[in-house]
Amino acid sequence: MSKLALTSLAVAVLVLTGCSQKSPEVDMTKGTGDTKGTGVNDGMSALQKLIASLEANSKVIYFDFDKFNVRKDQQANIDANAALFNSSEAKGFSIKVEGNCDEFGTDEYNYALGLKRAKSVKDGLVAKGMNADRVTVVSYGESNPTCTDKNKACWDKNRRAEFKVLP
Amino acid sequence: MIKKIIVLLLLTIISFAADATVEIVKKIDVLPKIAIQDASPNNVDSEFRKSFFKLLAGDLRVSSHFRVEDDYLRSSYEGGPIENFLSDKKVDLILRFSLDQNSNNAVANVKLINARTGVTSFEKAYSIPDKKRYPFLAHKISVDINDQIGAPSISWMEQSVVFAKYTEAKKSEIVIADYTLSYQKTMVTGGLNIFPKWANKEQSAFYYTSYSGVEPTIYKLDLKDGSRRSVISGSGMIVCSDVSQDGNKLLLTMAPKDQTDIYLYDVRTRKIEKITDYSGIDVNGNFIDNDRRIVFISDRLGYPNVFAQNINDKNVEQMVYHGKNNNSASAFDNYIVYSSRENKSEFGGSTFNLYLISTKTDNLRQLTATGENLYPRFSKDPDTIMFIKQYQNQSSLGIIRLNANKTYHFALKTGKLQSIDW
Repeated sequence: MSKLALTSLAVAVLVLTGCSQKSPEVDMTKGTGDTKGTGVNDGMSALQKLIASLEANSKVIYFDFDKFNVRKDQQANIDANAALFNSSEAKGFSIKVEGNCDEFGTDEYNYALGLKRAKSVKDGLVAKGMNADRVTVVSYGESNPTCTDKNKACWDKNRRAEFKVLP
Repeated sequence: MIKKIIVLLLLTIISFAADATVEIVKKIDVLPKIAIQDASPNNVDSEFRKSFFKLLAGDLRVSSHFRVEDDYLRSSYEGGPIENFLSDKKVDLILRFSLDQNSNNAVANVKLINARTGVTSFEKAYSIPDKKRYPFLAHKISVDINDQIGAPSISWMEQSVVFAKYTEAKKSEIVIADYTLSYQKTMVTGGLNIFPKWANKEQSAFYYTSYSGVEPTIYKLDLKDGSRRSVISGSGMIVCSDVSQDGNKLLLTMAPKDQTDIYLYDVRTRKIEKITDYSGIDVNGNFIDNDRRIVFISDRLGYPNVFAQNINDKNVEQMVYHGKNNNSASAFDNYIVYSSRENKSEFGGSTFNLYLISTKTDNLRQLTATGENLYPRFSKDPDTIMFIKQYQNQSSLGIIRLNANKTYHFALKTGKLQSIDW
């Protein structure tokens, strides 16, 4: 047997350490979410009902493909939302504007586009008299579609800003 | 002798592709032909054996350094006058493996045989602690076999991939996998968890953004002990886009005033420094030039494109002069790979392609042709790029081998890929 073969036959036991993981699966709904109230056993409290009502009465703002400016046909909805959120029953709440995108793109740019949409809506609300400190923005990028069909009408519905009312 | 010939032939091929932006359209097929023999005892599950065979064959094919015999072959581990030559297959090399099912570890004994002489030129025993991680065992074997013929390293196959996948609206999971997605382990669930990024070269921890709290928050998950630590929160949007080579600096996309800019975050001191300053969109920062410079995506020309600037000054340089919607980029040395939307129609779904440029030349190389090809990321060598492909409701991990001009896809069974890192 050749020297080469003899040398190569020396078997080295390789223990690949890899990542010696201790099954650290994390559930983000445990420990980091908002605390939940207690004692509400009849469905929704009066506060929750008011918040749900305000959110249901707010109007979704839609955007053009790859754009973040508020369209002319959406300005009336901005005005209506500003009036709603400035009403006496809503004035004590903060408003979170959630910007959303269509399904095209998985990158940071898509999330930034959603944020610009939310910012445009915030600016529109502030221009109509809302206190800027009451309005926060967040982007959900393409992660929050209301429609999952593959057609223009569906994509139109997903390019939007929505509103969350926060106590 | 055969090793020298193979090395010479490989070097000849590779020398033609010294500039990765130059596409090789024709080359002589001179790669060594290799057959794979399963010498596992009969008590080892046959499905497991065949799965292992497929992983090895797939790896060697993806390496682009071998011609791989398709047939699944059986042999004893010692072999004999027929098994050690396989004259009818006209192969140059034989890779023989034997799996051990009795151990709690994934265990394999491996031989590489010169089929022209019947002599074993390499032999090694492999073991990894977690049996489910056997795809990594196959990848390690493939890397070693590739090294044995003196071909350029394919050690990137041993890297773990961390990815986020959407499961439903506002919900996603973070998963660790091998590059073929054969091994997968879900690490983070519950709510929206996106943009995972390895925290160090050892891949012992990763950063990710969670939307579970009041504001989007970057967490660091340590894989050694399972501990999770909140790093930084920010309103609107926050992403860890890149990690410096030493793991001490992070490039973050943040929007403290509702405008995204790129920030440098010092992991040790927690100091944060604003790098870009523009009223529009600046995102997707990537370290280049030994972490002294960054490339990033900005819409400062009215459309998303790739730019660069030094960490310590504000002079911005446009890096790409092609396309009108270049929305994601990754850099390695002088190379930049980016995703470009081919037309601005809202009716087209298959319109993202990947392109490669060199900052040293004017060459531009198109890397993909169909579907949505997104989120390109270089491996630890500039010859391999991973990306996300969306095509006809199917989400896949793509691997591009630049010198060989070949692309491979590994489909995700459920969910839609959001982002990847490796």
